[in-house]
Amino acid sequence: MFHQTPLKTFTVAAVIAALALYAILGGYFPREIVIEIALLAILAVSLDFVAGYGGMVSLCHGAIYGIGAYAFAGMTAIGGYDTVTATLVALAAAAAFGLFVGAVAANITGIFFIMATLAFGQMAYVVVFESRALGGDDGLSGIARYDLSAIGIDMNDSLQFALFCLAVVVIAYAAAAYVLRSTFGRTLSGIHSNEDRMRALGLTAWRHKAVAFSFSSMLAGAAGILAAQHTQFVSPELLVWTVSGEVLIVVILGGLGTLAGPIAGAALLVLLKHKIGAYTEHWHLVIGLFLVAAVMAGGRGVYGQIEYWLRQRAGRRADA
Amino acid sequence: MVADVDFWLTQFLNGLQLSMLLFLLSIGLTIIFGLMHFVNLAHGALYMVGAYAGVSAAAALGNFWAALLIAPIAVMLVGIFLYAAIIRHMRRAGPMNQVLVTFGLIFVIVDLVRIVWGDIALGMAQPAILSGPAEFLGVVYPAYRLFIIAVGLIVMAALSLVLSRTQIGAMVRAGVENDAMAACLGINVERLFFAVFCVGCALAGLAGAIAAPVFSATPSMATDILIPTLIVVVIGGLGSLRGAIAGSLIVGFIQTFGAVVMPEFASVLVYVLLAAVLIVKPAGLLPARS
Repeated sequence: MFHQTPLKTFTVAAVIAALALYAILGGYFPREIVIEIALLAILAVSLDFVAGYGGMVSLCHGAIYGIGAYAFAGMTAIGGYDTVTATLVALAAAAAFGLFVGAVAANITGIFFIMATLAFGQMAYVVVFESRALGGDDGLSGIARYDLSAIGIDMNDSLQFALFCLAVVVIAYAAAAYVLRSTFGRTLSGIHSNEDRMRALGLTAWRHKAVAFSFSSMLAGAAGILAAQHTQFVSPELLVWTVSGEVLIVVILGGLGTLAGPIAGAALLVLLKHKIGAYTEHWHLVIGLFLVAAVMAGGRGVYGQIEYWLRQRAGRRADA
Repeated sequence: MVADVDFWLTQFLNGLQLSMLLFLLSIGLTIIFGLMHFVNLAHGALYMVGAYAGVSAAAALGNFWAALLIAPIAVMLVGIFLYAAIIRHMRRAGPMNQVLVTFGLIFVIVDLVRIVWGDIALGMAQPAILSGPAEFLGVVYPAYRLFIIAVGLIVMAALSLVLSRTQIGAMVRAGVENDAMAACLGINVERLFFAVFCVGCALAGLAGAIAAPVFSATPSMATDILIPTLIVVVIGGLGSLRGAIAGSLIVGFIQTFGAVVMPEFASVLVYVLLAAVLIVKPAGLLPARS
């Protein structure tokens, strides 16, 4: 069950503040890194919402991210709609896809659920890849960023865009935390710990899981909208299953079922990638070893492990 | 062209050849899966190691047949190392952690291969005796590809015989059906698992080595083959030999004929099939456990 503990608040605040500082003090390249972290963090929060609290490990969150990006890109670059309409349509498209996947796969469990989400995600990938209207494998360009000049924000400035992305991370985290603390979130945790019991209590479990998956997809779609605006270009590579795999790695490195951990995990993975990438092109090797070690050490992730130690210490103190 | 019988027969052979490669990979994966509920995503990476081992052995010894023997053994040794170092400790860790550890292993193995062999695709010469075209039912078809089909069919027949007629086969089937009960009856399930795991690794290495002359050895082959193999395993049903045979034929033919009939959506067809099977019959078409 989710509790917004002081440790979670502190972790999120510290990571966001550190990234903001890094963006403010750094030049163009650090800002790009911060944006990359922010996009991955939103995706990781959305995946942790369903995987950590609903037991639904998804390998189609990359595809949903891409659907959000493509819907936004298509509405602005092809349809010529304004960014607000495009945002609403993109969020709705991501949520609708999530609702469909969640409803169809709700009764599938374990590794089979992962395979089912993989199948739906790859279907979306192939459809986008083959779609001439969406530019096929050339992708789409000429996507507009939000125009926030009315409130004095210039989105074309890399610093202000990076800070905007960090703000969306906080909003996504707060939205996920708010839902997890509501009756809906408590019910979702109940399904995760014992689905049969929740059914016996009279809950239509599949509908609940589908709605939860849909909400998570909407958050992933929001990350996609930002991704489309970031590079002002979208390509089918956004939807491919390895993107989902990377998000899953972030969630595990940070701590599955902690919600705050995945944000730290996103920062950790991207920074590792760039730091190691500066020395060797074989950074995948290090990330792979890191992942193997993290899972074999108990699978709690960096944040989850710290939370676990603190809880053990607190428990010992209570015993004494 | 489309009405041409020869054309369709050629496509049929292409489909069969792809099916056989998928079979060699999926049979190891499915039995490991069914026997020990162990999810090994690194199986595709072992296939890649087999291809590189085959290329190097063939270059060093100048003999294709020696390479075909060495590659499976080399991959089996890699498998034994992975078993001792990691997999043994992850046996009771639950499917989620197994997926993640073996997912991490893909990264590690692929990058190690890139360090040792580089990023360039490496070719492997076909043996002289199989390098020319051959005639099959009046169709001219590369002899080497017929050889791949033959190897697949031989392995299929041998495994069917071992699984259905020998005591080891009976023990494996018992372990897949109910591992706790099999252990109670005196079968050392862990040792059985280890033996099956070694055979599965060797078959993955064999598949890599016989695929190398046709497709070349590349670092991307580890992940390229993984998804189709997993689809075969899930469609066929975990732990089932018949399921692996049926699944690899279905996926191989859908991919081949789909690419001819509706090229844009060939790859979507397989995923549609996967989703349909998972929704209608989540245990797979021919599950090992009744």
